[in-house]
Amino acid sequence: METEQFNIRMPKELVQDLDIISKLLKVNKSEWVKTKLAEEVHEEKNKLLMELSTLYAKGMISKEKIEKLVGKDIADEMESIKVIAEKSVKHGLEYGKKLRKLHS
Amino acid sequence: MAKSSENYILDTSALISLESINILERVLSLFSIITTNSAIKELEEFAKHDDKYGRIAKNILKHKSEFTIESCEIKESIKYVESTDNELYNLSLKKQLPLVTDETKLVHHTRHKIEVYFSPVFLILLLKSGHLSKEKALELLEELRNIRNWRNNIIYLITKNQLEKL
Repeated sequence: METEQFNIRMPKELVQDLDIISKLLKVNKSEWVKTKLAEEVHEEKNKLLMELSTLYAKGMISKEKIEKLVGKDIADEMESIKVIAEKSVKHGLEYGKKLRKLHS
Repeated sequence: MAKSSENYILDTSALISLESINILERVLSLFSIITTNSAIKELEEFAKHDDKYGRIAKNILKHKSEFTIESCEIKESIKYVESTDNELYNLSLKKQLPLVTDETKLVHHTRHKIEVYFSPVFLILLLKSGHLSKEKALELLEELRNIRNWRNNIIYLITKNQLEKL
């Protein structure tokens, strides 16, 4: 896995608390922080993208705005999903109607 | 009841979605469904496990005789998807038939080249053709919903919006 250095300054008390945790759990302090941070980041990212995708699906935010907020890749992917979801609905409506006539 | 002339190619994700809300059997009775040997192998792998997806896969495999199962040479490969998905994509290209999948990455990379739909297409098909009530279709859509997945969220909201209008 590719990594990047990320330095932060932390309150002394927090570092002391981390020392306690690492001693009691018998884990490496940095590794523990990385794991906890990864979990939080994943949760928060998903929560925020859920909110953004809701706004987008409801037409309350444009793709361009999404691109400015979170980048082209996610904006493109959201657009693809929306387009195909709409096409799926359209196909279901058109062909379902024909099928009803066929069976009536 | 005679099957409609419409054929669909389904991947593992779509088969699992449909079986998870108990409409696969109905879909198989109304439409001609095609899948690939590699999709069947994936299901057989899932079926080895004694968990929710294992049970769903076992149920799908009970209907194996009702699908058409084919293999297809991969002549055109999409860089970001697995070989199973590449085979399904190539089958769709070769046969000029729509692919139904819930793999959003596959959809994203193939939508300009083939006809592709998400599995809730069958909820709308069944509703519009009189095989499902609106209330039941909405109930099943809720069951399909994955509240922790932003990609699925878009599919859910757009389908729900349309179902509510009917």
